[in-house]
Amino acid sequence: MTGSAVGVSFRPGELEVRPDGSGNLLGSRCGDCGAHFFPVREACSGCLSSNLETVPFSTEGVLYTFSIVRQSTPAFEVPYALGYVDFPEGVRIMGQISGIELDEIKIGMPVVLSLEPFGEDDEGNTLTGYRFVPAEAHSD
Amino acid sequence: MTDVHVVGVGMTRFGKHPDRDAADLGAEALHGAVADAGIDPRLIEAAYVGHVFQGMVTGQRVLAQVGLAGLPLSNVENACSSGATAIREASLAVRAGEHDVVIAIGTEHLTNKFRGALTPDPSDPEAAVGATMPSVYAMRARRYMEEFGMTREQLALIPVKNKSNAARNPLAHFRKEITVEDVLESRPIADPLRLHDCSPVTDGAAAVIVMSDKAAKKHSNGRAVRLAASALRTGTVDVEPASMTFEPLTWATAQDAYERAGIGPEDVDFAEVHDCFSIAEVLRVEGLGLFKQGEYPDALERGDANIEGRLPINPSGGLIGKGHPLGGTGVAQVVELVRQLRGESGDRQIEGPRVGLAHCRGGKAVGIEGAACTVQILIR
Repeated sequence: MTGSAVGVSFRPGELEVRPDGSGNLLGSRCGDCGAHFFPVREACSGCLSSNLETVPFSTEGVLYTFSIVRQSTPAFEVPYALGYVDFPEGVRIMGQISGIELDEIKIGMPVVLSLEPFGEDDEGNTLTGYRFVPAEAHSD
Repeated sequence: MTDVHVVGVGMTRFGKHPDRDAADLGAEALHGAVADAGIDPRLIEAAYVGHVFQGMVTGQRVLAQVGLAGLPLSNVENACSSGATAIREASLAVRAGEHDVVIAIGTEHLTNKFRGALTPDPSDPEAAVGATMPSVYAMRARRYMEEFGMTREQLALIPVKNKSNAARNPLAHFRKEITVEDVLESRPIADPLRLHDCSPVTDGAAAVIVMSDKAAKKHSNGRAVRLAASALRTGTVDVEPASMTFEPLTWATAQDAYERAGIGPEDVDFAEVHDCFSIAEVLRVEGLGLFKQGEYPDALERGDANIEGRLPINPSGGLIGKGHPLGGTGVAQVVELVRQLRGESGDRQIEGPRVGLAHCRGGKAVGIEGAACTVQILIR
């Protein structure tokens, strides 16, 4: 599958990437109490059930908080925006924010999942990761 | 069951020690604690040594430096709570009646290993998208400012206070006072946090000797301080997203400690709390119940948390001013509590304290509020 324009998921256990370029973040849903977790867990911390299934999360959420990172590890070019997004399933997931000027990002902003190139693997294949982009920009 | 008493304390200067390593820093702290206790080091029956990035059996390397061999020794890793966890383990060994004299040491040599921001373990999903420790706290700061109206200037009062205290502490990493303008003009790290909002990369070590009732009666010369509680908790996995402006883990650990010590937050005279970043001090003192949620910024403006204030916070200079050698940090907090409670803190002495509290919180893993949290209460 290498050479595909879509690329492979940078973390297949957490981000599902389909050949058409669409994808979802993956987590666990407890079959007994309905709680959701990110990333995938082996047992529910609410009721300790191990009846968990892996499920794709919604692609739309709300920005809980964010920061503009100006000093990081060599793997990340600064500055970049990093935020926590609350999803309807009741999970909060961290990701970078793109598609908006850094000084226009606001708490409470609706965002959607966006699959984007995210570095390369050891063999030079493009990896696909995720960022969050403003919901309005996405619908344009 | 015996009570646990801190009888001897020692620490190195915190700062950059390019020509030294974790073993000889730990040895210096141990010698200091032994000298402070005035005991024969051969009385020490067991050792717990906290460190994070120093590799295998660093504790054994410390004891080998000072000629103490053959003791039961455990190396302890709990991120920034490693040293505090070592004290808890030492106190449990005494409380259980297994040992009468135990040393807890925390040591770390970081300046030859790290520069700039620490990150969660690379395997962590949040590290994979670019999380750094400053950015995680920056996000909490931004949310707190939004919810409670804290200003950037109010947040700057924490580094100003802690570096002022550190200037009065001869063992602190930073010895220079700063102003609010210095904080606001320092290099941006992760908005809204700037360089002065961050604890530094520091080398250093600290040690405390704990004893049973029986041993303390024989060896303490009236200088013992009772370790009334040493609580430890691990963060729970969030079933739903938790507030990032309050710390249920700090609150729960504090409740364990208050209950064990038989006191409440209103009885605490001063505290050393884990101010790895300026915002962390806000979250910690409110999580411990020392200040009501949302009220610490105004209390800072009133000077309540100053050494001369109603409830001094981080009189040693805290992690921001004194420095943050991960494994050494939790032990150094207890060293400060003991010296303050004995009235031996010189220029930064608080007037007549009776109850001191130390709080540490360390580690980041996806989906849990915090990895390890400790709260220790010392009563004179």
